[in-house]
Amino acid sequence: MTIAPTKDKATTNIGVSKPRVDVREKVTGAAIFTDDVQFGAGLLHARAKRSPYAHALIKRIDISKAKALPGVKVVVTGEDFPNRTGLYLRDRFIFARDRVRFVGEAVAGVAAVSEEIADKAVDLIEVEYEPLPGVHDPVYGASSEAPLVHPDLGSYEWPNFIFPVPGTNISNHFKVRKGDVDSVWEKCAAVVEYTFRVPHVQHVPIEPHVAIAKVDDEGNVTLWASSQSPFAQRNLIAKSLDIPESKIRVIAPLIGGGFGCKAGVTMEAIPVAIALKAKGHPVKFRLTREEEFYTNFVRQGLVAQIKVGCDKDGNLLGLQNTMYWDGGGYTDYGVNITRAGGYSGSGPFDCPNVKVDSLCVYTNHPVGGAYRGFGMSEVHTGIVQAMDMLAEKIGMDRVEFLKKNVVQEGDKILTGMTMHKTGIKECIDKAAQAINWGVKEPNSAPNKLRGKGIAVMWKAPAMPPNAGSSALIKLNEDASVTVMIGGQEIGQGTFTAMAQIAAEALGVPFESVKVKGPIDTQYSPYEWQTVASRLTWSMGNAVRNAALDARRRILDMVAEAWGENVEDLDIKDGYVISYKTEESISLKNIVVYGIPKPNDEGWIGGPVVGSGNFMPTYVTGLDKETGQGERAVVHYTTGAQAVDLEVDLDTGQITILKAVSAFDVGKAINPDLVRAQIEGGFVQGMSSAIFEEMKLVNGHMQNPSFVDYRIATSADVPEKIEAIIVEAPQDDGPFGARGIGEHPMVPTIAALANAIYNATGVRVPHPPLSAEKIYLAMLDAGIVK
Amino acid sequence: MSFHRIILTVNGSTEQVDVPGNMTLLQMLREKLALTGTKNGCAAGECGACTVLMNGEPVNSCMVLAAECNGADIITIEGLARDGQLDVIQKTIIEQGGVQCGFCTPGMLISARALLNRNPHPKEEEIREALVGNLCRCTGYNRIVSAVKAAAEVQ
Amino acid sequence: MINPHPGLPELEYVMPASLDEASKFLIEHTGEAKPFMGGTDCFVRLRDGAWNLKYLVNVKGLDGTNEIRFDPKNGLTIGAAVPMNKIVSHPDINKHYPLLTEAARTVASYQLRSRATIGGNICNASPAGDTIGACIVYGGKLNVHSIKGKRLEPLASFFKGPGKTVLEPGDIVTSISFPLPPPNHVGRYIKLGRNKISDLAIVGVTVLGYPDSNAKSGYTFKIALASVAPVPLVPLKAEQILADKPLNENIISEAAQAAMDSCTPIDDVRSSARYRKYMIRNLTRQALTDVWQKIKK
Repeated sequence: MTIAPTKDKATTNIGVSKPRVDVREKVTGAAIFTDDVQFGAGLLHARAKRSPYAHALIKRIDISKAKALPGVKVVVTGEDFPNRTGLYLRDRFIFARDRVRFVGEAVAGVAAVSEEIADKAVDLIEVEYEPLPGVHDPVYGASSEAPLVHPDLGSYEWPNFIFPVPGTNISNHFKVRKGDVDSVWEKCAAVVEYTFRVPHVQHVPIEPHVAIAKVDDEGNVTLWASSQSPFAQRNLIAKSLDIPESKIRVIAPLIGGGFGCKAGVTMEAIPVAIALKAKGHPVKFRLTREEEFYTNFVRQGLVAQIKVGCDKDGNLLGLQNTMYWDGGGYTDYGVNITRAGGYSGSGPFDCPNVKVDSLCVYTNHPVGGAYRGFGMSEVHTGIVQAMDMLAEKIGMDRVEFLKKNVVQEGDKILTGMTMHKTGIKECIDKAAQAINWGVKEPNSAPNKLRGKGIAVMWKAPAMPPNAGSSALIKLNEDASVTVMIGGQEIGQGTFTAMAQIAAEALGVPFESVKVKGPIDTQYSPYEWQTVASRLTWSMGNAVRNAALDARRRILDMVAEAWGENVEDLDIKDGYVISYKTEESISLKNIVVYGIPKPNDEGWIGGPVVGSGNFMPTYVTGLDKETGQGERAVVHYTTGAQAVDLEVDLDTGQITILKAVSAFDVGKAINPDLVRAQIEGGFVQGMSSAIFEEMKLVNGHMQNPSFVDYRIATSADVPEKIEAIIVEAPQDDGPFGARGIGEHPMVPTIAALANAIYNATGVRVPHPPLSAEKIYLAMLDAGIVK
Repeated sequence: MSFHRIILTVNGSTEQVDVPGNMTLLQMLREKLALTGTKNGCAAGECGACTVLMNGEPVNSCMVLAAECNGADIITIEGLARDGQLDVIQKTIIEQGGVQCGFCTPGMLISARALLNRNPHPKEEEIREALVGNLCRCTGYNRIVSAVKAAAEVQ
Repeated sequence: MINPHPGLPELEYVMPASLDEASKFLIEHTGEAKPFMGGTDCFVRLRDGAWNLKYLVNVKGLDGTNEIRFDPKNGLTIGAAVPMNKIVSHPDINKHYPLLTEAARTVASYQLRSRATIGGNICNASPAGDTIGACIVYGGKLNVHSIKGKRLEPLASFFKGPGKTVLEPGDIVTSISFPLPPPNHVGRYIKLGRNKISDLAIVGVTVLGYPDSNAKSGYTFKIALASVAPVPLVPLKAEQILADKPLNENIISEAAQAAMDSCTPIDDVRSSARYRKYMIRNLTRQALTDVWQKIKK
């Protein structure tokens, strides 16, 4: 077969909404999630003994009765595991040792032949506590009156970009000082000063955490985990248990939602620790939904004291943001959320004078961790509402005000980094246009008030400066292509996007590319974590590089066989073609067996494997006192969201008539999957904005079940959710792409709060923007009687 | 603890199982019959990930005792496709992009199938009402609702 | 700390052959056995340890507990173990007792309604029970089986507090009977939850109205309020206002205010008492207005 040779580079794989590669198994029930992996009769079941106190010293633990219960195989406590662990700040143990710091903290673990027996054994463990006064508010926690949650903070280990303050509860104090904020206020024509509070919320993946560990008699550990981070887990578990990485294998099957809570290490170390004492037995540890709510990572609460000011024309002059993050009992991951909140703490606004203090505060609350947006929903809730208030105070249309003040290419942002090309203004225009911004629409009934709101956002991937990706590509006899990666399919569609990138870079049909889990640290190439909306960009680059490497190997082989120059050859649709001779040859067989030389004189080539990696090398450190540095982050994804809603005067309930989101994704590899992220992200944002709050009373969560922690259902979702893709290419993204996984929920709370204000004239600043809060605010303001 | 011997039909095949009194239908399907397509998301009848058809009606299988299932006819997600042919709702949820992580999908599809069985041409509001017991954290639901609409048109 | 068992704790599932056998068993095992119908509340309580039982005694299918019987002369009897969805789809109930249909349809989700029973909804004695209001305003009476024989329990005196009823060990509610509904009646159940549908009621307002020549206003209204008192609440003063004064918007507002004043709600994880009180007023006014608009035609 001959394919008409052409150097036309029109793509068939990029910017095309290819079908998901993982979908058939998901609709037939064949897809294997971690809880579905079968282990046979030797399986042991683990449960954890948990602290009923928010803050207490452990005086005594008696495990003798639990150990004596028939069917119990292992009981372990903190005594058995002395090392601290943690992703950034190493401040936690696998099981609490001397003290407990939040309700639900694991103090002991049990493995038994059945979950029922393990459950009974946990009840038989006796723990004597000495309760301590607790810290239940981050502002109080940061004060000198508060009791210390971690008196030994100064002795912990942390990387050089985290700034703990030993002798206090502040585990990271990140500062930005740009210009001179303190003297600018008197020059402002309008100033807004306001304190915003964002409650703790939970990720609520529909799949609860589950992990199974097995240790063989040579001490090799295998961990099957519902995980966003098999490599980070291998690394952290290795350190905490003094096992070399080479002896730990983490296998991560498909994951039933993560949103950040399955990144880092939380419960996964527990079954490993137990399995070390039950060699040969797989040990399964599965959280109940109730445990899921408060014993694992939560989204940190935030108190943000914000002051913003502008001149009479609406130009921002000063921006001050002091953030107290409610980090919880341990902040091993939370310290970096605080850092991200700090270096993006101005929101996507260009302002000459900026002062940000972002403080991670130990409290006796559940432990904060990554949550879709990594601090940005919380930051934007305050800063974007403050801008809405400021625009009103100066008497300016919100859209005009935002467009005047958002960051643009070439601006020096708060950290001194030069902003790259960004489509944020186009996002604002398109979102505003889609909801008829500026047009006052009629109410649907006399007892309704209608309003519109708009919000903007930015977010950079938050990660260590050198978070890396790698990929392998191998070709098979039938010319099919296997892409091996270490990034996880978490629902976002990354397997599909990687197949598209590989197909495009290599020159083969999309259908011939296979990307499959499970991710297996023994065989999959390294990937830092599936977080930070970084895969399309970072892993995409690695996959593209691997595909180009494989391509080069193939072309070298064919060039040699045909006596041609590589430059005259191309791979298209699974065939190597020559632009010079118009020859073509299928990739079939040659990619494994090579090409015979003429006259039986031997062979050229061999099995083709391509490898590629990617790691940003240009991120610089930031000054401890000023937060200034050349390049704080790799890039920012920006966007805008606008909503049109009605408030019911009888109940305070809101009905969102239309929601529009526009995001600059650089280049949409798969536009339909991008839209799916934007829609789903909006609904998660809306759900957190309206319904969600972990109700904590002295550290005890009052609503740890779906009965009283409500999330949006099919009936709560607006029928009109529009997703608009804007593309200002990323210079170092694969085909110009950057990430979009987290961003769609970042501006939602502010957009809704602004719209509720527009409708009612009453600001309900602190989420959740529940019907109750809205109604009572209207009542107190005299809007209803 | 005493066991109950039950005989039931699961996805068209007859099964005999001995179950303890506190075992739920969900546990029996997953642990005794290795039908792991039915998911455990809350064990409290709230999330819908464990929804199966019991005698034609959708139920939260975590809210049914296995011992009650003697003589019952159960259809799980594994029984929705016939002879490798996907059910129309399986096809349309793929076409509409209504699947992300896939964990809620089995229960969601069973609820959707049950709705279409009792009401072949549901209105949008009826679709949303029929799916409120199936929580999804990824998709935002609208594509799933579209899939049910599309299936109603096709079937 | 709320930390339920991962599954149902160890227990025996008992299948008595008759109600007598069931009652006997329940008495012999007082404190460690409960009658079992749909299980949707029971499983939750067993998991979280609120109930610590050794036996679940199945009463489904015994002596008509699964049946719905309508007689145009005497009224309606619904077996206690009839699931909500059967009530929602039953043509006689839809036609003659539409408020029962409306209320039953608001319970949780469709798949939960496949299992959740009307008997369970009543016997759980939650002040938030969605169908209780409709059962009260239709004049429902519970048929109770016990070893001493059968008896009738009017709903008005059945509830003693959250989760508490007049039932004694061995008592099994087998069905609920309703007289024929008042001619030309109109009903309305307005439930306010955090979600649009599917949530428990923050407040629930049940109203049934019908033309009544014995009433000074020409109409009788029956009202039942959920989630605003330790037991389902009938605001007698509001009912009296509507019976005595010629109906108009102001009188409806006056009655709604009286309903609000009769409530003694609490602050809990679902809502503040303050919000509940205002919602009772607003939604009672809404429900009364809806019903009045229809019956005055």
